Amino acid sequence: MRDRTLQVLNWILSRIVPVTEREPLLGDLTEEYELRASEGSPSTARQWYLRQVCASVASLLWIRLTSIAWISTTAVALLAYIAVGVVELIVNEVTSSVSANAAYNPLGMLITFPMVVLIVYFAARLRRNAGLVLATLMLVSVTAMTLWGAESVPLWYRIAYFFAGPSATLVGSVLRRFRPTGEAR
Amino acid sequence: MKREDALGSLEHIVLLAVMRLGANAYGMTVRREIESATGRDISIGAVYATLIRLESKGFIRSHAGAPTAERGGRAKRYFRTTADGESALRTTHEIIVKLSAGLKGLHHT
Repeated sequence: MRDRTLQVLNWILSRIVPVTEREPLLGDLTEEYELRASEGSPSTARQWYLRQVCASVASLLWIRLTSIAWISTTAVALLAYIAVGVVELIVNEVTSSVSANAAYNPLGMLITFPMVVLIVYFAARLRRNAGLVLATLMLVSVTAMTLWGAESVPLWYRIAYFFAGPSATLVGSVLRRFRPTGEAR
Repeated sequence: MKREDALGSLEHIVLLAVMRLGANAYGMTVRREIESATGRDISIGAVYATLIRLESKGFIRSHAGAPTAERGGRAKRYFRTTADGESALRTTHEIIVKLSAGLKGLHHT
């Protein structure tokens, strides 16, 4: 393999591979490349090397991302946060067709609560600390809504909303701990 | 069997290759062992991703070897199966044997 090509391919791989795997993985590729070049033709070995680099990118990126715990935990928490938002929208839509004053209806909050618990339970199954991150996200958004939200929102609703989200994440996280088998990731 | 003890198909193949290679199991030899047994040109990235997953499950452990010239002065990382890994292999093998017993078309006559 031309030195330049080898250097470029190795540079690409070294940007993707986690630091702990960098030396052994690049060494393995180099060793097999040398073996193939000596057994067959250098051009075939070069093509094999290029194929290996291209085919390895997705797997190596996945290792890199999942090895950084806080990124995957935050990603799971953000997905759960979006899921909670979607559930709230659907519940508001359904209750608005039933009740005239649907915007501040305790029924909507009662329906949403167990669904949030369920979402947190599954999020915490994927990443143990996702519930904690989600609770923080909810507290921040509820505080912002309470401070800068519409003044027409009743006080009882603001207070209830302030406690409902974090309480649901707490219940979901506690339920996750009672899972019969398995270690938390 | 706990869910975490279950082996995926690639995990199963990689773990078997590591066990077959014994003291000479490292990334390149594992990849070549799988390639010669399955005919699949498996990527080194997929092999490493699986080895890391197996190590995190406690089915294999690794240690660094000495750097060599044909590897551009880079060290090898050797892998060995653990008792848990061998137990997971036995369990998976028993399941396959039970499920395939008596099935026509699976066995050569």
